[in-house]
Amino acid sequence: MNIIEVKKLNFSFSRKDNLLIKDLTFSIKKGEIVGVLGQSGSGKSTLLRLISGLEVPSSGEIIIAGNTVVNENVFVQPENRGVGMVFQDYALFPNMTVKDNILFGLSKMNKKDRVLRLNEMLELVKMEEFAKRYPHELSGGQQQRVALARALAPKPNLLLMDEPFSNLDTDLRSSIREELKLILNKANITCIIVTHDRHDVDAICTHSIQMGKVLMEIK
Amino acid sequence: MIPNTVKRYFQKEFNGWVIVSILGAVVILLPILFILSSLLHEPNENWYQIRNYLLSNYVANTIKLVVFSGVFSAILGVSLAWIIAAYDFPLKRFFRWGLVLPLAIPPYIAAYTYRTMLGYTGFVQTTLKNEFNIHIDPELISVSSLRGAIFIFTIFLFPYVFIITRAFLENQSTSYIENARLLGQKPFAVFTKIVLPLSRPAIVGGTVLVIYEVLSDYGVTSYFGVHTITTAIFQTWFGMYDVNTAMRLASWLMVIVVGLFFLERLLRQRRRYNVNNKSRPLTPIKLRGLPSILAFVYCGLIFSLGFLIPIIQLIFWAKLTFFNVWDNSFFLLIYQTLYVALIPTVIIIIFSVIVANICRSQSTFSYILSKWVTAGYSIPGAIIAIGVLAMFISLDKWLAPFYSMVGLGDAPLILSLSLIMLIVGYAIRFMATGYNAIEVGFEKIGTKYAEASRLLGYGITKTFLKVDLPLIKGAILSGAILTFVEICKELPLVLLLRPFNFETLATKAFQFAKDEQIYEASIPSLFIISISVVSIIVFQFVGKKVK
Repeated sequence: MNIIEVKKLNFSFSRKDNLLIKDLTFSIKKGEIVGVLGQSGSGKSTLLRLISGLEVPSSGEIIIAGNTVVNENVFVQPENRGVGMVFQDYALFPNMTVKDNILFGLSKMNKKDRVLRLNEMLELVKMEEFAKRYPHELSGGQQQRVALARALAPKPNLLLMDEPFSNLDTDLRSSIREELKLILNKANITCIIVTHDRHDVDAICTHSIQMGKVLMEIK
Repeated sequence: MIPNTVKRYFQKEFNGWVIVSILGAVVILLPILFILSSLLHEPNENWYQIRNYLLSNYVANTIKLVVFSGVFSAILGVSLAWIIAAYDFPLKRFFRWGLVLPLAIPPYIAAYTYRTMLGYTGFVQTTLKNEFNIHIDPELISVSSLRGAIFIFTIFLFPYVFIITRAFLENQSTSYIENARLLGQKPFAVFTKIVLPLSRPAIVGGTVLVIYEVLSDYGVTSYFGVHTITTAIFQTWFGMYDVNTAMRLASWLMVIVVGLFFLERLLRQRRRYNVNNKSRPLTPIKLRGLPSILAFVYCGLIFSLGFLIPIIQLIFWAKLTFFNVWDNSFFLLIYQTLYVALIPTVIIIIFSVIVANICRSQSTFSYILSKWVTAGYSIPGAIIAIGVLAMFISLDKWLAPFYSMVGLGDAPLILSLSLIMLIVGYAIRFMATGYNAIEVGFEKIGTKYAEASRLLGYGITKTFLKVDLPLIKGAILSGAILTFVEICKELPLVLLLRPFNFETLATKAFQFAKDEQIYEASIPSLFIISISVVSIIVFQFVGKKVK
């Protein structure tokens, strides 16, 4: 079953500009982890923003878990798309603890389920001891794990990760790649990872998309 | 394809926040439309009288005031900013913020303080007469003239130029100035060849603020008997009850304001030099000997003229009249001032938050909207007042059938005799003060937290309440304090739009001064100055980035 289908997607920042994304078409099956590769300015991050509803495409269609979220006539707001996202700089709410950051997306659950899900997520990312810390009291790698837990907590259909390793030291990258792969597999989530580093794709992803070129399978 | 894109944008961006913003923006625009609509009506006899015999004098005086106050404020502001930014001398750290304090004294208070101080029975002349037996020609030091008004505006408004230019020089000009020094340029050459051209956008920005204040003024000019377009608007309304002629005069003033707007664009010529927040601050050079004394004396003289001397004089007068003025009616005055400032402050802050939040999307629509809602600051209070007055009189006429239906009589003036009119006027005039502070707050946090919240299932309103609001509460507080203080100080708008017999500290101080009860005027004046000092402290120490 396809979790996401993107059909003939076009995007430009203004009518005067050339198309940044031109006739992009691809689909991703449930459980697949897909890397989006490309040079800076090739529209990788914009693709994630279009999928999540933070930008509006010039034309084309996006279907997530069988529901059309944008086409000629429809625009579903970001909060109703069932998409989770880990931002490049994590965007953890600085005024909330780790616990409150993760609980933030669980407001629709009852209290018991919320606590259960919180503990599940803290365990998944191995951050149980840090629940009461504030984001600025955590290292880069720890912040990334919290951002991941926060995005996964509401059980999204699709997880988007924007340059997840760009804020980390080179030494840390390989160990965190392994960690991330384990967490994603454990969570059994469909995921799109934007990166400019092919090693990230080789280590984690099942497929990759080269922006501006045809869909390519690398494994 | 294009209509569909627009439709999707509409679906993405259109919500309750946008509707409220557009409705508010329309209310802000209406008074201006009323003013401009006056040009379509046939003018009456009063107008021809004014146009043929008086208008050229009003326009000439207004332009002289604007040009001379602007130029002198720029000279004072830039020279002081350069001395403070580039050099070290005794008490420099004190002067750095002390030279902002003249802004705390509204020019109309400064005007009557100086006139009385320099008058025949004032401190200066009596001391010279009694202690030194020196008799000077009273005309020589009289400030009741165009010259005096220019002096008052310069000494009490130059800090606008000083603050903006100093901030620019201290933080964003370091590498250019250091390079010029290394290339062997002498201090004067560095100043004229590098500092002046580089600071042009800052100098123009500050001077334009001075000019807006001068155009808006009624207190100083009417007290000194200088006829300007603003004083003429007051005379046609209070002397002749002729709204149409007042509106025509206001549209003339609008022509000057619009001209000024384009002049500002022209003078800036897209010269926005590279602003790098991470640049090193300028290291000041330590002055020794005569230059150090001269710098100290120059700063000390301006500080004394702009703050110390008038304050000491006001405190002295206040001691003489304290028990005459400080009674129950004074408490009522404080109460009325506070609540009539508080209501528009709350309206401004709520509306600013709504507009600033939707303007984070950086589209053309949001750019226009943000410029539109903040336009009130560049429009003189008298114009806004006349526009609001005309709007409310029309509204009352329109509502007349409803009034008579509920038994209020035939065609009464309900809204245009109420406080609502004043509150709307304040909200339009001071929207920019609150809005700019809140916009800075939103800029500082960026959009990433809001976007994260949207993707975690929260709509725009819940996202604002749960994520943005806690993060921008400091900016909201700064914006609220600055707006509140501006409203407390304001004079022309409240004089024109207040209900009959409604007094605030500002109107009372002005009334006392007009009635030659100068000593009595000192207590409400000191109150207003204290409230303003609070805002300067907020501006300097808490909301450093709030401009």
